[in-house]
Amino acid sequence: MATRIITIVGFGCVIIALFALEIIGRRRTNRIPTLGEWLGYLMRGRAGRAVVLLGWLWLGWHYFAR
Amino acid sequence: MAADDVSRWRGRVGRGPGRPAGGRLARRLAVGIGLAAYCWAAAGAAPFTITALLWVLLAGAVIGGIAFWRPPERIPPPDRLDVTGFSYWAIGVAALFEWEAAAFKDNARWWHPSLTDLINPLIAPHPLKSAAILLWLLAGWALVRR
Repeated sequence: MATRIITIVGFGCVIIALFALEIIGRRRTNRIPTLGEWLGYLMRGRAGRAVVLLGWLWLGWHYFAR
Repeated sequence: MAADDVSRWRGRVGRGPGRPAGGRLARRLAVGIGLAAYCWAAAGAAPFTITALLWVLLAGAVIGGIAFWRPPERIPPPDRLDVTGFSYWAIGVAALFEWEAAAFKDNARWWHPSLTDLINPLIAPHPLKSAAILLWLLAGWALVRR
């Protein structure tokens, strides 16, 4: 039981940290980019755009089709 | 060239602002009703069926088609990315993947569940799954605008 809780808390901590990065990035008082900025940077070219959109499609397939 | 693609899309004017206010509202209403209907119908498809797969592929085809053939006005990407700033994101994303990979390595046992095992029961009720699909679609649209 304790191991399961540790796993869930681990996921929670990482996800909260990612949200915190987004909030910090939006404050513009540091060099941390927002999620949209670095994804936009990766999607400058067609190849990067295709990879990111395929990742998005995979996410939908993974959670909603199976 | 990748850079050519950016300059071509960056200056593209959206198709919305030219419409009269009433037309815009009607269009938004129609899109909203269509999205809600899609999400509700897609959430009703049983997992591991062709129907569920087709619902996802339909959204993928529409978003992909818009992204590559009729892109909306894009939010310009930054000219450069601060490596130090980005490294925080890289560490966070790597940690998430590592934690997930550890669950897969353990074959997602009860004591080390994968993120999927944790999320699937949360989105099992029909309204919540519909909301999750709507969130996924909005994320796709946000990506298309980038």
